[in-house]
Amino acid sequence: MLEFESAYRKPGNTLLGQLFGVDPFDFWVGRFYVGLFGIIAAIAIAIGVGVLFIAVGQYGDWDLVRANIPAPLRQFGLGPAPFLQGGAWQVVVVFATISFVAWAIREVEICKKLEMGYHVPAMYSLAISAWVVLQVIRPLWMGCWCEGFDLSYSGHLTWVSNTGFRYMNFYLNPFHAYAVLGFFLTAMVLAMHGSAILGTYHTDKDPNVEMLREDNFWRDYIGYSIGEYGIHRLGFYLAFYTLIMSDLCILTSGTLVSDWVKFWHPF
Amino acid sequence: MATMLTGPRVEPIEPFEPSQLDTDDILGIRAGAPFRLELLREFKVDTQLGTIWLGTWGLLSVALFLAGSGVLIAAALDATGGSLLDAVKYFANVQELPPDGLGFFHAPRSGGFWELNMLLWAGAVLAWAGRCYDRLRRHKWRPYLLFAWLSAISLTSAIWVWHPLLMGSWADAPGLGLNADLDWAQNFSVLWGNFYYNPWHQLAIFFLFGSTMLWGMHGATILATSAEGSHHEVAEIKDMHSGSHKSMLFWRWTMGFNANPKTIHDWIWWFSVGVVLSSAIGIITTGWVTNDWYVWAVDHGTVEQYGPMTRDAINQRPNQVKLELPVYMPIPNEMTEYTGVNK
Repeated sequence: MLEFESAYRKPGNTLLGQLFGVDPFDFWVGRFYVGLFGIIAAIAIAIGVGVLFIAVGQYGDWDLVRANIPAPLRQFGLGPAPFLQGGAWQVVVVFATISFVAWAIREVEICKKLEMGYHVPAMYSLAISAWVVLQVIRPLWMGCWCEGFDLSYSGHLTWVSNTGFRYMNFYLNPFHAYAVLGFFLTAMVLAMHGSAILGTYHTDKDPNVEMLREDNFWRDYIGYSIGEYGIHRLGFYLAFYTLIMSDLCILTSGTLVSDWVKFWHPF
Repeated sequence: MATMLTGPRVEPIEPFEPSQLDTDDILGIRAGAPFRLELLREFKVDTQLGTIWLGTWGLLSVALFLAGSGVLIAAALDATGGSLLDAVKYFANVQELPPDGLGFFHAPRSGGFWELNMLLWAGAVLAWAGRCYDRLRRHKWRPYLLFAWLSAISLTSAIWVWHPLLMGSWADAPGLGLNADLDWAQNFSVLWGNFYYNPWHQLAIFFLFGSTMLWGMHGATILATSAEGSHHEVAEIKDMHSGSHKSMLFWRWTMGFNANPKTIHDWIWWFSVGVVLSSAIGIITTGWVTNDWYVWAVDHGTVEQYGPMTRDAINQRPNQVKLELPVYMPIPNEMTEYTGVNK
């Protein structure tokens, strides 16, 4: 426990507690808060990882790089697939999605416990949306679970490579371009923010003087200082924008547009 | 209208303490009267615009950048026969291409435009590093920002200088232009046997996605606890209050690990710098360590060999592959055949 932690570890303010007046899962294990949704997430993770290990054992290749849970074969469409021909993938994707969502709700409960805003679970939900778009929504739209990516190191690389070439030139996908722009912008703004804090925290003076030093530096350097609160808004919205564009980038490929080169020359 | 968007002019809120470095610079001018753009209040960011420091380095950088941009405009007008309208209309396809070989002083249309433009912009970027150093010293910052900027230069110089030098031709560098840039990225990957199997490219993507993830995590955490002052980060590093306590405990309870107001900035600085550093290594090793990253990955067991790929054939191909890039023009016959949209 951190030295100030015990003051914050208070029971109550959970969903089960509000519904039934009693919450049997309202406790901590080591550093982790558990809660109802921690239990759900743990069960889903256990089942998903268990199935994953069983499948890898049956495929018989335990090499970390090559071990692969392949997406269902095309012939099974949107139906269930035999275990080794995609059924394992279907089970793992279902339980992974359950555990992600339970984890997000668990973050909401921790936010309520700490009486803070819900920005982290909101942003995490957006990250989950990328997984759901890739593995559920787009395969459903395309009419085949085979559109999802294999669950492995080399398998997902090959999926990314093939998907890029399948739609001719992914660099000409405008949402892909906007997403790449967002990724690089977040990296640049992140470096600027990290440099600002690491560059100024060391001086042993009045904190207000250091804030002034930060603002005045940025005003000298680029003519504008967004402020110590504003920089976190900017970073939050940049990450938000990047995830939305990533979702659109893959959701439109193959469903609405089959060739991003011809996309620009429709007539 | 102007008064709707901007408030009244205001004096600088925080005074600048006097500095020898300001008075020594003969072009040292703190330009512009600060004013408030009230529109920015809607986004909950600081509203004060200005002042800005000019200085020798900054003015030099801007002058070089504008001169390079002038070359770009001249090249675009040259390509469209002097028609500004066409240059705007086809801006995505207007491009400056690098010359063959490593020589200098080519005729403008044989790479001279590109050479002059790149030289001027490289000077602008380096002069900006001088400005960064000067202002960091003036405001007594530790030089993290300068090192981040130099790391970014390590990537651009790897792409535009070191890799072409190692390959023996400026033609290995990207041309300037929207489609020229995108096409270079696509062709470079294919030319060197699929960049997804370049481990440094993989590491760079890890850092790049990680940077976005860390901005999502850090930005969200600070916004969620800013009611209790966690955004006063420099002050919180020395003397933590409940906002920082909560932001640390949130992650400790969620995933069993937490940074603190200081170490989160170590994480984000190294992740963002890692993007460009590992990218630079990935570019410089390309064509030097291997001429085919797919073959490299097969050899090192990070990917299976798919199908009857004849690896000897790949290994024996010439290092320089002449790429004939067709300019895509719609042909009448194709109009009925394909719309680019799924039926």
